[in-house]
Amino acid sequence: MRHLRPGRIVVYVVLTLALIPVLFPVYYAFAGSVMGPGDLASYPPALIPSGLHWRNFTDVFTTVPLGRFYLNSAVQAGVITLAQVVTSILAAYAFAFLRMPARAATFALFLATLMVPWETIIIPNYLAISDWGLTRGGLTYLGLVLPFLASAFGTFLLRQAFLQFPTELRDAAVIDGCGHWRLLWRVIVPLSKPSIAAVGVYVFLSAWNQYFWPLILIRDTEYQTLQIGISQLNDAEAAQPGLILAGVALSLLPTLAVVIFGQRYIVRGLTAGALR
Amino acid sequence: MSPPLVVERSPSGATTTSGPRRERALSWLLLLPSVAVFALFIFWPLGRTLYLSTHGNDIFGAPGAYVGLDHYADMLSASFAGILATTALFTLISVLPAVLGALLVVLLLESRIRGVRVLRTAFALPFAFSVATASVVFAVIYNPAIGIANGLLGAVGVDRVDWLTDPSIALPAVGAATVWMNLGYNVLVLSAGVAAIPQEVVEAARLDGATGWRLATGITIPLLSPQLFFLVVVSTIHALQSFGQIHILTKGGPDDATSTLVYSIYERAFAYGSSDFGAASAQAVVLLLIMLACTAVQFGILERRVHYR
Amino acid sequence: MAHSRLRRTSRAVVALLTATALVSGCGSGSDDGGSSDALDAPGAEVLDGSKTTVEFWHAMKGANAAAVDKLVADFNAANGGKVEVKAVYQGNYDETIAKYKASVQQKNTPALIQVYDIGTRFMVDSKQVVPMHRFIEKDGFPLADIEPNIASYYSIDGKLWSMPFNTSTPLLYLNKEAFESAGLDPTKPPKTLTEIGELARKLTVKDASGKTTRYGFGAAIYGWLLEQLLATDGKEYCDNGNGRQKLASRVQFDQPAAVQVAQWWADLVKNGYATNTGRKTDDAQAAFKAGTVAMHLESTSVLRGYVDAAAGKFTVLTAPYPKISDASTGGPIIGGASLWINGVGHSAAEKRAAWEFVKFAAGATPQAQWHTGTGYVPINVKAMEQIDKAWTAKYPQFRTAVDQLHALPPSVASAGCLLGVMPQARKASEDGLEAAIVGTKPAEQAMKEAAASVTAAIDSYNTSVR
Repeated sequence: MRHLRPGRIVVYVVLTLALIPVLFPVYYAFAGSVMGPGDLASYPPALIPSGLHWRNFTDVFTTVPLGRFYLNSAVQAGVITLAQVVTSILAAYAFAFLRMPARAATFALFLATLMVPWETIIIPNYLAISDWGLTRGGLTYLGLVLPFLASAFGTFLLRQAFLQFPTELRDAAVIDGCGHWRLLWRVIVPLSKPSIAAVGVYVFLSAWNQYFWPLILIRDTEYQTLQIGISQLNDAEAAQPGLILAGVALSLLPTLAVVIFGQRYIVRGLTAGALR
Repeated sequence: MSPPLVVERSPSGATTTSGPRRERALSWLLLLPSVAVFALFIFWPLGRTLYLSTHGNDIFGAPGAYVGLDHYADMLSASFAGILATTALFTLISVLPAVLGALLVVLLLESRIRGVRVLRTAFALPFAFSVATASVVFAVIYNPAIGIANGLLGAVGVDRVDWLTDPSIALPAVGAATVWMNLGYNVLVLSAGVAAIPQEVVEAARLDGATGWRLATGITIPLLSPQLFFLVVVSTIHALQSFGQIHILTKGGPDDATSTLVYSIYERAFAYGSSDFGAASAQAVVLLLIMLACTAVQFGILERRVHYR
Repeated sequence: MAHSRLRRTSRAVVALLTATALVSGCGSGSDDGGSSDALDAPGAEVLDGSKTTVEFWHAMKGANAAAVDKLVADFNAANGGKVEVKAVYQGNYDETIAKYKASVQQKNTPALIQVYDIGTRFMVDSKQVVPMHRFIEKDGFPLADIEPNIASYYSIDGKLWSMPFNTSTPLLYLNKEAFESAGLDPTKPPKTLTEIGELARKLTVKDASGKTTRYGFGAAIYGWLLEQLLATDGKEYCDNGNGRQKLASRVQFDQPAAVQVAQWWADLVKNGYATNTGRKTDDAQAAFKAGTVAMHLESTSVLRGYVDAAAGKFTVLTAPYPKISDASTGGPIIGGASLWINGVGHSAAEKRAAWEFVKFAAGATPQAQWHTGTGYVPINVKAMEQIDKAWTAKYPQFRTAVDQLHALPPSVASAGCLLGVMPQARKASEDGLEAAIVGTKPAEQAMKEAAASVTAAIDSYNTSVR
């Protein structure tokens, strides 16, 4: 057993002090979700639940269609992820393996899309999507996903991965009559699974967490996403923090599970841009 | 999708003649979905933003008469300067503490202590929160009447703080919430960076007697500079685009203390029954210019100092 | 050959044009945007055919949404499947009107929509709606049943444009026990802002460490409260007769009375007798419900929630809304929201069906239920007769509010300001109040700058509807 040196004790103390503000909101989100009005809506508020007020969790489902919000977010983020992964694979293959005219210019065009903040073009997109009637009923799903079906980010990341393959592989495949299409789906994609998963995780999380676009686009509660649903719950039921926090706690479960159990899988996706 | 485009070998073996043409067609086909999305939802809207920024609106928000640069001229005001200053300040106070804090945490985690994995997971937990869920939790914590933040202060005999209603405190309060949201991500990125540092480099330094602070400043931080650079760039861009936390926590108030550029765009275009798409679009163009300038500065100045392996 | 091809082509073009015409004709019912036809009030005979569905956009949440759903269910049941109203929640009032604007551009407005009082001018200028008085005249609907003070808000030149739906009046709320523990008589509530200020000082409680445990006064920085104070002082909020003679050209919340309100509020906060919980009404409500505020301004519509939340902790008392000074003689504005029937893009049957629902909702019995279900003041003068005596006994405060409302003579000031950009004006007034309250600007400068900040929006609105 290693001896505890004073330096090491300082390290532990500093880390513990830093952990308190980091963990407190997490603790409070869950502790508050089982607090009754007596704990929360009076002054001073309680730090520890005086009892387990599980009613918040049933009440939140009668206050807002939380299950429906979940479904909507899953559809929205799922479609965006699937589409972006596919469009990125296709474009990345073209950039990595195919000889084409004006490749540099096309690539620059892709690069340029990363320079345009979404907020700069959100108004014309809103006007167009509304104009096309994609804010009515089930068409809302289309309106939510259409602008996000492709991304230069995914294309770049996968192009980097595809460039790792030796050019001989490509030449051999073409001459064998294997063809580009089969080379892509039979060889390149299976061998690039980690990078594809990284893109998928990143895209899914950003889509799942979207706020501005669904906020202005969705008209019908039936098609509300989880993020907006929770923030509207906060607006509508400000007097019932327990109910709000129950909604937050429920909406956190999937992402929390990913962070706790799947940390090493997401790190790759998040840092893909950082590790060159 | 189309059937597989096989480059057939003709009897004469002339793949070279039909190859490039087919390859060109195939590359266009593969790029088409992305290019179509970009054209329809990025480039065309970008042109529309410019168009809208030089036009007025009818009462429903439809573009009206050409107004030239009026919307841009309107931005030469003290209130818009205030919005830009708020945006800059918010970016500063939400980026720097989150990056430096994460760096400190990661350096401490790497000082050969027990329970690193559990601690790292604990520090990464905020990453599970979206901007919306985190902001809602902070809204409950900051609640002026019944929030636990004032409750805790009260318990130790400190008078209550108007977290979101005092103009000098609201921006730091929203900034603190933002730092909290980003810390987990930053810790994950920097941890991955540390893990990628070759062990022999660290061991060699240790053999040379480098420990603690010297090891960190001499070896770890320089080798982490690509990750730090990446975090500064990404966090700055994110901070400039921050919207959810301001919309949920302060709605730009009090007294415009948290009114950032993106929030101002939202407010003019979509809030308070306003549909002033013209003025909002002009501000959106300014946002674009700021982003471009920031990216240029960051890549121009910072990148030169980054230590790449 | 060439000839026949030309003929085929021209036949195809004709067919295409016909098809296009058919499709566009079907899509929007009557494609006569803004013409007199679309804004006519059809009679009951247009409903003899098949089932007509009415989309009804509203902004009610919580218990109020439940009351809307019940109202709609009762109506649908009574109409035996001939007319079906489909209520759709659209978010708060601001969000509802924003979505409405978009729907006008896309030509798919709902047949019926609930719009807040301050959206009235916009709805009139939108040229989308059938003025309610046309239906009233068509059916000989007893307009006298509608509380005149409420109707005056939604009337221009004496003609009713929309049917009042949910109406609330402002009240002064008191924490009875806070008064008693401070040695004050809760049956003698303050009548003016000055009196509130004096009592707030006495009602503020500090603990041994000098920390404030209860504030004398606390209210949301909510523009509506200022509008109400100006109206009770007989002051007009915007020019041109509160925008009722012709389009208002500027807001007047920089007048001395408004500055006085801002100064009064700022002083209370600065001296520590009032808490500032910001603009969110929910937060100010939470403070009162938590018992940390002794006096509080809010609408009648929250009374039920207050009584329920305070049960077992303290007693909620209400008093008439305060006046700026003893000399004030006016009454508050009767705001809330009203129902509008969209004509453009809707068939005669849809318009008629929407009116049937409006007529039903304005009836004495539904209004009585609406009142007890939500706490909103009934808009039908006969509704109070139908209300259960036990309920009246439990919430005597409502009776007081309704009686007060009934006793007021309608005036230009209490009819409220009609302004196309009223939501932005209200927001600007909150900017001014907040700047004064948090002390970043002197009250007068704050209110002046806030009022001036609306002028550009008013000008551009007036230009585009002229």
